[in-house]
Formats: sequence, structure tokens, C-alpha cells
Amino acid sequence: MARSLFLFDMTFWLYLASLTLYIAYLFARRPAMAFAAAGYPVEDYDERDGAWAAQLGQVATLVTVFGWMVNTAALLTRAFERLEHSGTFAPWSNQFEAMAYVSWAIILGYVLLELRYKIKAIGAFVVGIGFIAMGAASLLPYRYQTAEPLVPALNSYWIYIHVSVTLTSYAAFAMAGGLGVMYLFKERAEQRGSTSRFYAAFPDLETIDELGYKAIMIGFPLLAFGIILGAMWANYAWGGYWSWDPKETWSLIVWLIYGAYIHARMTRGWEGRRAAIYAVFGFLMVIFCFWGVNFLLSGLHAYA
Amino acid sequence: MNGRPETLSEQDTPRTPAPGVGWEEFSRELVEFFASIKLAMFLFLFIAMTATIGTVIQQGERPETYIQEYGEDAYRWFLRLGFTDVYHTWWFTSLLGLLCVNSLTCFYKRFPAVWRSMKQDKVNVSLSFVKGMKQQAEVTVPGTKESVAQRLAQHYVEKGYRVLAKNEGGEVTLYATKGVMGRVGAHMAHLSATVIVLGGLLGSYYGFQEFGVCLEGQTYHIPRGNFDLKVDKFWIDYHENGSVKSYNSTLTVVEGGEVKMTKTITVNDPLVYKGIWFYQSSYGDAWDQIEVARINIKDKETEKIVKTIDLEWQKEQTLSDLKLKLAITDFVADFAFNSTEKKVYSKTIEHANPAIKLTVNERSTVQATPWIFYQFPDLFEIKDSKYQFELVGYKPKKYTGLQIAKNPGINIVWIGSTMIVVGITLSSFIYHRRLWTKIIPGADGVTVHIGGTTHKSWIDFQKEFRKLTQTLRSFQA
Repeated sequence: MARSLFLFDMTFWLYLASLTLYIAYLFARRPAMAFAAAGYPVEDYDERDGAWAAQLGQVATLVTVFGWMVNTAALLTRAFERLEHSGTFAPWSNQFEAMAYVSWAIILGYVLLELRYKIKAIGAFVVGIGFIAMGAASLLPYRYQTAEPLVPALNSYWIYIHVSVTLTSYAAFAMAGGLGVMYLFKERAEQRGSTSRFYAAFPDLETIDELGYKAIMIGFPLLAFGIILGAMWANYAWGGYWSWDPKETWSLIVWLIYGAYIHARMTRGWEGRRAAIYAVFGFLMVIFCFWGVNFLLSGLHAYA
Repeated sequence: MNGRPETLSEQDTPRTPAPGVGWEEFSRELVEFFASIKLAMFLFLFIAMTATIGTVIQQGERPETYIQEYGEDAYRWFLRLGFTDVYHTWWFTSLLGLLCVNSLTCFYKRFPAVWRSMKQDKVNVSLSFVKGMKQQAEVTVPGTKESVAQRLAQHYVEKGYRVLAKNEGGEVTLYATKGVMGRVGAHMAHLSATVIVLGGLLGSYYGFQEFGVCLEGQTYHIPRGNFDLKVDKFWIDYHENGSVKSYNSTLTVVEGGEVKMTKTITVNDPLVYKGIWFYQSSYGDAWDQIEVARINIKDKETEKIVKTIDLEWQKEQTLSDLKLKLAITDFVADFAFNSTEKKVYSKTIEHANPAIKLTVNERSTVQATPWIFYQFPDLFEIKDSKYQFELVGYKPKKYTGLQIAKNPGINIVWIGSTMIVVGITLSSFIYHRRLWTKIIPGADGVTVHIGGTTHKSWIDFQKEFRKLTQTLRSFQA
């Protein structure tokens, strides 16, 4: 147990370091707005960085990737510990492990996003949420952090897929929430006509908006899949595929909230500010579904 | 940012307001209303909001619980609004029904356009239409219109587009499209809502869910399936640290005197026979049977314990040294006495006031059947007996709690579930892209006008469009 806890701890500090580096990176960048011609390709942002900022950015990425690898190692170690003690492999079998898995998925999503779009400024927000997830996990009391054997209801192969799919969707919504916050920051800066180098480093509003939408488009089908896997599991374990248990209901609520968003965006043009606020709101609902339901409401999912 | 492809591709037919409200007008308005996104959003959010009620207020509790927690006035309102069983109220069910109507009407109204865009060509567009696209470019390249069109069309095909071309009136028009499956997926998801609800209705009308308490070794008749279920064994497995690993019951299905199947069920592994599912749901201590009890035999005069014995359920034990024959003939977990029927029974299933009925035969002269209480050892005394009997402990018989359920709608629910997951996934990751190209011969070479639109995912489309124009510029002779 100690080995994985040490690695989880290390992950926490590495994410803190990478968050700090990303924020430092934002401050280190030169004001760039004046150089950017309209329609200037997004990929070329790097060219306008000072050498110092570029190096900081590289270090930030390296530390993030390293942190993610340690996070992976921590989860794997925990998986083997579980195999020894509790007859399952899934390293997402309690609240602590689930949080650590969510931050793993968020950081993975971020690294992929950075690889593909080459926008490092997002790191300050999305890695930030990953860090908070990891931090919240490590704040849990010790008895929540250990790999206790699973209660009989959880001891099933369904835990591998139902839980991981659902948690991955939470991670996608977390990314969308982070991007939403970023959008609101940037928009406010633009409205005030701020020339702060901090905001100048951000990608343009349209890009942030679209990326946030993309994250939701990944989370939405995943959550649907996760809910249905849960229904299938319930059909095996509880004798009915749907019993309006608070967790079930809340995941449906979250899904409906994002469903409304997707429809609104398709045809009623919900984008920009409204979409950003909505993404943050949706993420708060996800947090409630993930944490609030477990700690405030009682129900069949009380163990998770 | 997301274009409205419908208004781009379909020529909007201006609606001529007919005088008076005819049926046609009315039905069109009706379809318009039920297919509207506004209604969909209202339903999504309203269902989400009302669904929270049942997670905050405990559902299906006894009236006293609500009155105690919320007061009588609040409880009266709860009853009026159905807050004690929100998810089965007429209004909540209606909301779900309305969502089905909404998605079905949307399918009816919008799917034909998607279908047409799969089947029909959209080559007949004007130059101003191409130029009016949000994403558009104009490039002059050398070559004849045919050769350029050829190369461009090939490029589109390589990128996975379906291409239609027209060479007419001195210009070539190309129409390239891909990813219409994304929109088909969205409609598949729309249909799935109704499929799932139908499956649910079927289950709730023709299915059942029951709970059975079964003791080891007993056989129970299952009238709904017309077969018998024998509970062979119930036991609990533990982890090293003492926590429960699994609850297990071995069940045997007997039909027409013939053993059909035997299976050990656990919490995640039910037995299924003739569409009826038997789940390991709970377990507990039986309230009318025990396995063994420990009894102290005290000498009344000396008040000393002369012997401690373990008595098995309904098995007589002879103690020749004390000249005693003892047997436990009955047990109740929570002692109560019905004075009219003169019957002892267990008030609850809790072991709140356990008592055994001891049949005593002393020297073949004194015979008695006293109730011996675990909590009140001095309550009964057998007059002529030399001894006082005390119940110091017992091991209750375990019962296994089986959930018995049949749901004929389940497969329909799974079909709907598959549709919704596949549908949403398609519509999330595949987006419908369309490109129109006009190639018009000019002074030096040809002028290529490209305009394009996407259903969503604008950044990727912009990137693709940029690459496309770069490729086009590289067309050197």
C-alpha cells in the first residue's frame, strides 16, 4: 500500500510543479497581439514566444508528461496491490482511486490536446483542474486511500468498464469546465482592452470555445455509455436496470444538462460566453454527481 | 460558429400565410412546435430539475418518516405533488412521454432532409452561393477547367469525399461531401429515446419484481414460472481481514419432479430460468428457527450451574446423569403473545426479544414446555423441577434473501441503449462536411471558387480548408 501511496503523493507534487510552470509560462510570454495578423495560423504561436518562455513551456510539458507517467505508475502499482488484497485489478475502486484516475485522464487529455493543437496556455487551466482533483484525493482521510477489499456488490468485472468509462467522461467535462473558465478570463480581458502579457498568450476566443465544445462532445457519448453499462451491471447485481438511485439519477441529470447544451449549440447558436458559463455550470454539476452524491445523499452507490 | 446547414442547403420556401387557420396550417404549426429544439431544451432541463427532487427527498418511505422530518403541512404537499414517489407520478411520466414525442417529431421533420442529402446531388448551385459560404476561397491556377476539375476531384476522393460533378455553361461545378453518418447518428439517438421508454413500459406492465426469504433445505413454488426452487445451501465467504467476500446460495430448479438446473448464485451472478432471474439480494437470521442453543442447567437450591449443554434444533437430548430429556421445539426472535388465539408469534423479524420453547422431561414424572427468554432468565420457573434453565446463547439459522424478477422489456431497452450510444458517438465524432467548387475559365488559367460548410467542429474544418487551398495553389500546370 505504501508504494502506491508514495507514487500518488509524488504525482500530486509533480502536478503542482507543472501547474506552476504553466502559469509562469503565461507570464513569461511577450505581448504578442500586435504581431498576430488576422487569420494567422494557430500553429505558429510558438514562433512569437521569447526564447525564455519557449524553454519554460518545454519544461512545463516535460514535467506534466513525467507527472502523468508517475500517475500511471501509481495506478498500476495500486492495481497490483488490489490484486493481492482484494481480488480485483481495477485501480478505481474507491473515491480516492477514482479521483486519481480522473486526474490521470484529465492530464492525458491535456497532453494529447497540446500535442495536437500546440497551445500551451491551456495548461494553466486544465492541468490546474487535474491538480485540484489529485489534491482533493490526497485530502481524503487515510482510511479512504487504502485498497480495502471490495464489498460483494462491487466485486465484478463490470467495475473495470463501467467505472472507467464514467470517470473518463467526468474528465472530459472537467476539461470543458477548465476551458470555460479560460474563455471567461480571456473575454473579460478583451473587454477591458487589457494588454497584459498574461492574456495575450491565450489562444483566440473561438479556439477556446471550440475546444471546450469538443471536450463535451467526447464526454457526452462516454457518459451515455457509462450510464448504460451501469444499467447492465445493475441488471446483474440489483435485479433491475434502473432504480432511480441518487447516483443514477444524478448522472442522468448531468447527461440531460449536457444534452440541452449540445442541442442549443447545434441550432440556437449557444457559443462563446454563454457556452463557457454553461460548461462551468455543467462541470459543477459533475462535481456534485461525483462528490456530493457520495457524501451528502444516501443510496445504492453509497460505497463508491 | 456552427453554420446552419439546413438554411444553406435547402432553399427556404417562403411560407405564404393562408387566410384563416386551416388544418394544414395547424398541423404544420403543431409539427413545428413538437419538433422544436426549444421544447427539447425545456424538457431536458425541466426533467433534470425535477429529477433532483427524488434524490433529496427519500422516496417510498412511510408517512411518519416524512412528517417527522418535514412536518405535516409539507407532507400534505408532498402527497399532492407526488414527491414521495416522483419518478412514477403522472406528470413526470408525461414529461418523459413528451420527450419521446419531441424526438419522434424531430425525426419525422428533419430526417427526410438528411436522407435526401445522402441520395441527391447538390451540384446545381450559383456562384454567389459558393461565395456566400462562411468558409470560402478564390484561387487562380493554370490549366483547363477540365484538368483542374479532374485533379481536384481526385484530391477530394483521396480525402474520403463523395464527389459529384457537372460541366455546363462554360464552367465546372463540383460537390464533395462526407460524414453524413454523423447526422444519421443523431437521428438514431432521437429514435432510441422512444425505444427505451417502450422497453421500460413493457417491463413495468408484463414484468414483476418480488422478494423472497428462503431457508436452507426448503423448496419454494414459483407460481409465475410454474416450477419449484430448492435452496440447497447458503453461506458467506470472507476475506483474510474478515470482511465479506461474497454471499452464496446454491439453488436447484425442479420442474415436474425433474431437476432442471443447479447453480450457485452470488451478488453479481444470478440464476436465470424461463426468463425469471433469481438474485442474491440479502441474507439474515431466521426469526422462527435456530440451529443450536446453549443452555445452562442450574440447581435451584445451590444456585450452581450443574451443566452447560448445546441443544440442536428439534432434537431431543438425554442427560442420564441428571435424569433429563431436553428438546428445543420452538423459537421466536421477538416474543409476542396473541391472547385471543393463545398463540406465540414473532412480532418483528428483529432478534429483539428471543425466546426458545424448551420441552423438559424430568425423571419421566415432571413434564413441561416453558418459554425461556434470553433477556429475562428468571421469568419462568418449573414448579416441581429440581432445575432452572437458562438460555445463554444461540446460533440462528440464516435465511437467504432472493430477488425474483422478470422483465420482458429488457432486450428492447438494450436495443435502445445500443442505438443511443452508437448514435451519439457517430454524431459526436463524425461531422457532415460539404464543399462546393466552381471552376471558371479566366484570362490566365482558371479561377477556382471553393466554399464549404460543416455541421460542426469548425476548427478542424478550417484547418482542412486551409490545406485544401494550399494544395490547390500547388496545382502548377
